[in-house]
Amino acid sequence: MTTVNAVKRDAPQARPALPKFSWAWLGLMPFFIFAFLFLLYPASVIGVRSFQDTKTHAFTFKYIVELLQTPYLLGSYWISIKISLITALGGGLFGFLLAYSAIRGGLPRFMRSSFMTFCGVASNFAGVPLAFAFIALLSPPGELTKLLIALGYNPYFHGFTLYTFWGLSMVYMYFQFPLMVLIIAPAIDGLRREWLEAAENLGASSFQYWRYVAFPILFPAILGAMILLFGNAFGAYATAQALTGGSINLVTIVIGSQVSGDVLGDPGLGYALALGMVVVMAFAIVARTLLQRRTERWLR
Amino acid sequence: MTHLKLTNISKEYSGTTVVQDFNLDVEQGEFVSFLGPSGCGKTTTLRMVAGFETPTSGTITINGQDITNIAPNQRNVGMIFQAYALFPNMTVAQNIGFGMQIHKEPKAAIKERVNEMLALINLEKHAGKYPFQLSGGQQQRVALARALANHPQVLLLDEPLSALDAKIRVQLRSEIRAIQKKMGITAIFVTHDQEEALSISDRIVVMYEGKMEQVGTPFEVYNFPQTAFVANFVGTLNSASAEVLDPAKGLITMDGVQLVTVEDMKNRKKGDAVKFSVRPERFSFASEQKKDNILDCTIENITFLGAVVRIQVKIGNTKFNMDTFNNPFLELPKIGDKDQVTCSKEAVLVLNH
Amino acid sequence: MKRGGQAWAWFWMIVGILYFFLPLVATFLFSLRARLGVLSFDAYQTVFNDPNFIYNFSYSVFWALLTIIVGILIFVPTAYLIRLRLPQFRAPVEFITLLPFVIPAIVYVFSLVRTFSKPPLLIVDSPVLLIAAYAVLSMPYMYSAIDTGLRAIDVRTLTEAAQSLGAGWGTILFRIILPNIRVAILSGSFLTFAIVIGELILADYLVKPAFAPYMAYLMQQKAYEPAAMAVMSFALTWACLGIIQFVGRGSDQTQIAGGH
Repeated sequence: MTTVNAVKRDAPQARPALPKFSWAWLGLMPFFIFAFLFLLYPASVIGVRSFQDTKTHAFTFKYIVELLQTPYLLGSYWISIKISLITALGGGLFGFLLAYSAIRGGLPRFMRSSFMTFCGVASNFAGVPLAFAFIALLSPPGELTKLLIALGYNPYFHGFTLYTFWGLSMVYMYFQFPLMVLIIAPAIDGLRREWLEAAENLGASSFQYWRYVAFPILFPAILGAMILLFGNAFGAYATAQALTGGSINLVTIVIGSQVSGDVLGDPGLGYALALGMVVVMAFAIVARTLLQRRTERWLR
Repeated sequence: MTHLKLTNISKEYSGTTVVQDFNLDVEQGEFVSFLGPSGCGKTTTLRMVAGFETPTSGTITINGQDITNIAPNQRNVGMIFQAYALFPNMTVAQNIGFGMQIHKEPKAAIKERVNEMLALINLEKHAGKYPFQLSGGQQQRVALARALANHPQVLLLDEPLSALDAKIRVQLRSEIRAIQKKMGITAIFVTHDQEEALSISDRIVVMYEGKMEQVGTPFEVYNFPQTAFVANFVGTLNSASAEVLDPAKGLITMDGVQLVTVEDMKNRKKGDAVKFSVRPERFSFASEQKKDNILDCTIENITFLGAVVRIQVKIGNTKFNMDTFNNPFLELPKIGDKDQVTCSKEAVLVLNH
Repeated sequence: MKRGGQAWAWFWMIVGILYFFLPLVATFLFSLRARLGVLSFDAYQTVFNDPNFIYNFSYSVFWALLTIIVGILIFVPTAYLIRLRLPQFRAPVEFITLLPFVIPAIVYVFSLVRTFSKPPLLIVDSPVLLIAAYAVLSMPYMYSAIDTGLRAIDVRTLTEAAQSLGAGWGTILFRIILPNIRVAILSGSFLTFAIVIGELILADYLVKPAFAPYMAYLMQQKAYEPAAMAVMSFALTWACLGIIQFVGRGSDQTQIAGGH
């Protein structure tokens, strides 16, 4: 979690430990009941029923196996991973350039804070309104399309459509860039000016500074941020659904249709699919946490 | 021979003058400190020599070459920062060798120089460690080695000891001075700690509000301060107001008490208001030895500071601090006693502002 | 990056700003085209006069407010107790609050529907489930905001001072702790508000009235009204985050919006 610096701290070591009252545990009960009932239990249901035969309730791997053997389902994972990778890399790169420009580019002060606020808004601007915004922009009757046609160039005659994989990628970028900016901003802030000056002082050019000092230092942070972007795109549903009506075969879309009715033929398969998603996300979060430790060591 | 020369250096930031009319000639191998409170312009001046700030007017030359407008990465001056600024992604050895690596020196030469530097700062065993594994003092020594490895013409140190513990500070400052002397390299040292500046400099430049207040050896600056600011900033001081009684004889009067001073008061007339100062250690008890000024006083307070005993006395209506060396066999006066203190004419400093 | 680097900085910023603003501008323009040949606010008028819109939007606001209240009631005492008495629970609780990041919303809804569609937990049609689910979705942000706020005040000293003056736990929580983390709570609340208003999946599949599903439904049928709704949605989110920045300026209690 990126949070702003704290000011005061408790000093538990400075005072003797308070006796542990039993009611303190009770005070945490509401939270644990809430978390268990509405988060942990439903989540575990996915895990359990992925390995449980729907009819016999016996333990089985068959759903996992079937998932790995169904091209349609494996394909959906592949498409989801593809779009997540592309938007994570593209969004990460452009977001990084934006963040660095805003923070260290020598631009006027007010631009940084208004840009950051805007990124906060834009990273939340996903789902239905975002899909619609791009429809308003680039669909056949869209504003930009009309403008381009008026200038003599019709993108649709050249094979462009909004409602495809690449159109969706373009839309995803809209919340990926600002998310990258928000995540990487503290790391860029942590790049101390003295390192640049020390490098210059020792004779390094701008390029050498980047190659030997800045980039190696920022690399874990950038990688960690891109992993987060990957997870963000991987789990996205509403934007794709609103834009394409479910025609692009993402894992989230397949699960979505499974929620409305049993389109896969066996609910167990749906659970396995969901479990697969959680596994991918868990990997991403763990990798990101490990990288974050490395980042914090250098950029404290 | 002048090695580093700053001529008429000024720096302005959007209307505010941060450094004004700075002129200094530094000899090869000299250790000069810039001493002053925060905001006096000492760091800005140093950074202009390094190339991180450009002077609004004036020139800087090293060895006769005008470097005023040369980019910082082409000046070959070595800079040491308050916050160490070691590259966190490189080991100690890599940090030290970085400058030479940039200049594309052969690997063997780099290795040899790095080992030489490690021996100089006594950290041979830490060559493979990363900065976060070192203490503050160790990091600063590596920073020193990194700057020196690059064969700089001038060494610039920006309050390098301010972030360190008191004990390490004292130890490291003598180490820095020893290394500087050994290598014969010209050095500029910025600090706000007057004890630091006094103990290791060949000369001190005292700065205040962007201007040079005084330049001189530590001895000169401490014993013969030329302005009230220098007198106050360097060492402790007693200050009080008085009136001129007889400018020709150097007499001033305060609360009915007469003091004679050796200061030149040619431009003053009788009745002028002046400020004068006396260093606490220049007072002594009249019972031991009588000097030019003999003043009646009352003992107000006695503070035991270890090697020094600080006795607060009231002369006229004003309180003064008197420092004397601790002597276990000396009988100290009691609070409330009436006594006499004495000081020489030269000890009474009448200053400009 | 100096000198020449500054030109690049301007370049990337302009490209970025273009990319961000073009869709917004297009949406706004589009929303003004309801009347043929003329730019007008007709679409907005239609939306505001649409009883279904008012119905759905009001419900979204209502769900958001309830979620915020539930969040405060559950998370403030929890964070407070952990900070004060039970630091050993910090790790598991924080882990739980970060779980919603690992479980994508669609998977979460899937699990909710499956878990709560069968007796004895047949509450899939109840608003209780919706509120609880919204609280779970906003938990990472709300809990983190509250925790950040508590970190900035010396909880232990305040509690001990209050106790020495004779205050009971209710008084301490509501009259001392809560007012001092006002800014943090506001920050978390606005984030929650933005999330709930923009949320599609939950309300859609739990078949409850809400803003986003209504907009999705309208998109199938109308062209200009959804545009107006998109503009409103964006303006609303901007207002929420702007208020957070404004209220939290100079305070150590706010967190960067939307960051993981």
